[in-house]
Amino acid sequence: MSAFVQYTLQGLAAGGFYALAALGLAVIFGVLGVVNFSHGACYMLGAVAAAVLLDVVGMHFWVALVVVPILLFVVGVLMERLLVRWLLRLDPLYNFLLTFGLSLILVDVVKRRYGVSGLPYERPAGLDGQLHIGALGLSTYQVFACLFSFLICGLVWLLLTRTRVGMIVRASTEDAERTRALGINVGRWVTPVFGFGIALAGLAGVMAAPFRAITADMGSNFVIILFAVVVIGGLGSILGAVVAGFLVGLVEAYGQAYAPAFAQVVIFVLMAGVVLFRPAGLFGREETA
Amino acid sequence: MLENRVLEIDGLSAWYGEARVLTDVSLSVHEGEVVTLVGRNGAGKTTLLRSVMGLHRQIEGTVRFAGTELGRRSPDARARAGLGWVPDDRGIYASLTVSENLLLPPVVHPDGWSLEQVYQAFPVLADRRSSMGTQLSGGEQQMLAIARVLRMGSRLLLLDEPSEGLAPVIVQRIGAIIREIKAAGVAVLLVEQNVKFAATVADRHYLLAQGRVVESLDNDSFQARESELLTYLGM
Amino acid sequence: MRSKKPAAAVAAAVCGSLALAACGGGGPSSGGGKLSNDKVVLGLLNDQSGVYKDLSGPNAKIAIQMAIDDYKAKYGAKAVAKTIEIVTADHQNKPDIANTKAQEMYDRQNADVILDVPTSSAALAVASQAKAKKKLFIDVTAGTTKLTGSACNKYTYAWAYDTAMLAKGTGTTVVKKGGKSWSIVYPDYAFGQDMQKSFTKAVTDAGGTVQQNIPTPFPNDNFATFITKAASTNPKVIGIMAAGGDLINFVKQYNQAGMQSKAQLAVGLMFITDIHSLGVDQFAGTSFTDPWYWNLDAKNRAWADKFQAKTNTRPSFAHAGNYSAAMNYLEAVQAAGTDASEAVIKALDGKKINDIFLRNGEVRSDHRVIHDVYLAKVKSKNQVKEPWDYEQIVETIPAADAFEPVSPDCHM
Repeated sequence: MSAFVQYTLQGLAAGGFYALAALGLAVIFGVLGVVNFSHGACYMLGAVAAAVLLDVVGMHFWVALVVVPILLFVVGVLMERLLVRWLLRLDPLYNFLLTFGLSLILVDVVKRRYGVSGLPYERPAGLDGQLHIGALGLSTYQVFACLFSFLICGLVWLLLTRTRVGMIVRASTEDAERTRALGINVGRWVTPVFGFGIALAGLAGVMAAPFRAITADMGSNFVIILFAVVVIGGLGSILGAVVAGFLVGLVEAYGQAYAPAFAQVVIFVLMAGVVLFRPAGLFGREETA
Repeated sequence: MLENRVLEIDGLSAWYGEARVLTDVSLSVHEGEVVTLVGRNGAGKTTLLRSVMGLHRQIEGTVRFAGTELGRRSPDARARAGLGWVPDDRGIYASLTVSENLLLPPVVHPDGWSLEQVYQAFPVLADRRSSMGTQLSGGEQQMLAIARVLRMGSRLLLLDEPSEGLAPVIVQRIGAIIREIKAAGVAVLLVEQNVKFAATVADRHYLLAQGRVVESLDNDSFQARESELLTYLGM
Repeated sequence: MRSKKPAAAVAAAVCGSLALAACGGGGPSSGGGKLSNDKVVLGLLNDQSGVYKDLSGPNAKIAIQMAIDDYKAKYGAKAVAKTIEIVTADHQNKPDIANTKAQEMYDRQNADVILDVPTSSAALAVASQAKAKKKLFIDVTAGTTKLTGSACNKYTYAWAYDTAMLAKGTGTTVVKKGGKSWSIVYPDYAFGQDMQKSFTKAVTDAGGTVQQNIPTPFPNDNFATFITKAASTNPKVIGIMAAGGDLINFVKQYNQAGMQSKAQLAVGLMFITDIHSLGVDQFAGTSFTDPWYWNLDAKNRAWADKFQAKTNTRPSFAHAGNYSAAMNYLEAVQAAGTDASEAVIKALDGKKINDIFLRNGEVRSDHRVIHDVYLAKVKSKNQVKEPWDYEQIVETIPAADAFEPVSPDCHM
């Protein structure tokens, strides 16, 4: 029983990373129609930025949690303004290839500058050790990762449901063309939304910094899982991205615990199952002809 | 006559890649007038509305709205200028509530209805204001889609098959709404296959076949030739 | 997955063109004079850009250059090898690339010996090229026992370490010091499975028990569940067989789960560059076997100082190993008076060596170079007195005990 609770917590903590990053991916896809392959690289940039800032200016983890996403927002804005924007009118494949190439460049630049064997990151005080709740020892960091990603997802949810900007983003995510035809200049929201999506990936990266290997390649595997998450949740569905993020985290943890040989396959089996029975994903809508 | 033309389309042709779907279409809609565009499936009716909205851009010819040539203006600029589009799938947002669906578009003209007016005219929308958009029935969604552009204060409504798939009693209600709109001085360009319904609401009719305007009729001669037109449309 | 297709296509195209070029390059020259082409060419084939770049990578060339300089200084005018060149190539840890690059080095660049070659599958590819071309290959950074087992050949030497030695060193020594019950977590691919087998054997032979063997996906960045599982039987020791980024992930999450106080962590394969990149406090107290440590004694340190003057960093065992391999190769050329492979092999075989890398070293008949190795414990942060001062040597494992005996699978 205690082991099961721990696996669940571990699953939710890992799911938190997926949910945050997938949320960014979903918003970008929704509003821009861009499948941002560089999302994994931006997650990596978030972790690397946290490590470099700690090393160079001694920036504390808690501060980095605020500062790094802002930096990544700027990176996202630059990416959108200088590159992505020019391909928006073309087949979405072009932007997929652009962001794919961009992620290769980012990974190689980081490799060149910071090497391949990874950057050190000191464990932030307060997140070490265990929380004891009755007989149960839960890892402080996992409890934090879990609660923090819930919190951020909740805040983003409030932003999306309680503000006019959120309403426009939801509408554009559902159907950007129709939203334009209703008098809304969707183009004006494209840049900030792209930046916001990238910032979320960066935030997930900072959260990963203390407890995962900070290497240039850390996003390469992550982004593949992330695509599984958005496919399961429904491409372009914001709620779907969050729910599927946590779901994939849980499935991964239970898979590792109870069927280790299939741990990695299990996510993609889930994805295949969802695609088979609900091609548009758990929360996606079927395209009407 | 010229100055009260809200919409004037002149020599409009449209393509999908190599395929030409509209050929040299010219038509006009006057202020406070309801005009229908009648034709079979695939005659190019929806493409024409999309071209007017700026959503279909592979076109030649001119579209003038309220005396201004629209040229390459973006769809959102056209909507803000006073074009109100009600797409054939009604375009209700599933992730927005009924009231959010109403509040999403900007108010572009002082004559736009207030939320209270909308709820007065469509009590069913008031009752379900917190429901998600697509939880409404087909008829309710159609009313919501029309109410949405009325709230904007659009000067010309582009209605794409509003009667499609609705029960007769609801179709009647939609007809009544269109007449109210007309009474309020708003022009309507209505795409329809339902000839009987078209005859109850419109002043004039254009017949579209294979991407060309083949006839232009006033409502009297339209009604007189109703059975012929029904055969022509294959209904 | 998507990403690999274009890369593979490019790689295939590159390999194809290289193979063609190699074919047109003419056959190997016969040993007419004392030196083929009047010079000795040392080939350095390793990972110049990937995960093992810091372990050996470009700095291995500097180590080899140090060997060349020392050789020239030692023999001066009497040196048999007057002109010595180094050629380098990046094999990206891929066996197919390693194969073509080795071919190119031996055939077109007239390399007399290839050095280093991390990644077992790549090293095995080079070993078979060495056999086919009758040129030497001295492995430094690859750890597979096959090089001196079923895949052994007359032209291939294993200079520094192998997986069996790591298992014997860490497994046996930790059990003897009281760590009798183990859970072993290993990545589920060839290297991890090899390590898991070797460690299980070493632990059981020494009188310990392995309670659990837990396979994990590879690569993997989330080990939380596996750690909980490994700890569930309350073992004294948790052995982790992952390498590189996966190892760092594991250790970070192991510490985070508060495991340091519950079980001792033993790492199958760890390099000083891993400790450096993760920060010493993350690894503090971890046991592992190291073939060489720069700060072991004054002799090592003196060499490490020279290395640091040229590279601005401290050497890994791979750097020292490459130096030693290159130096002893040149010594063998000197002794043989020629770079003809057969003569050099004769000079190397059975040689007893004590240099900056090898202590009580001996080139065994299966071309396994045996030497003293060290059980190390990572220092805690307050024990560290200078950069790269990470290891406390707990025990020296004598050459005779450190390695497995000659494998019956090896027929030269």
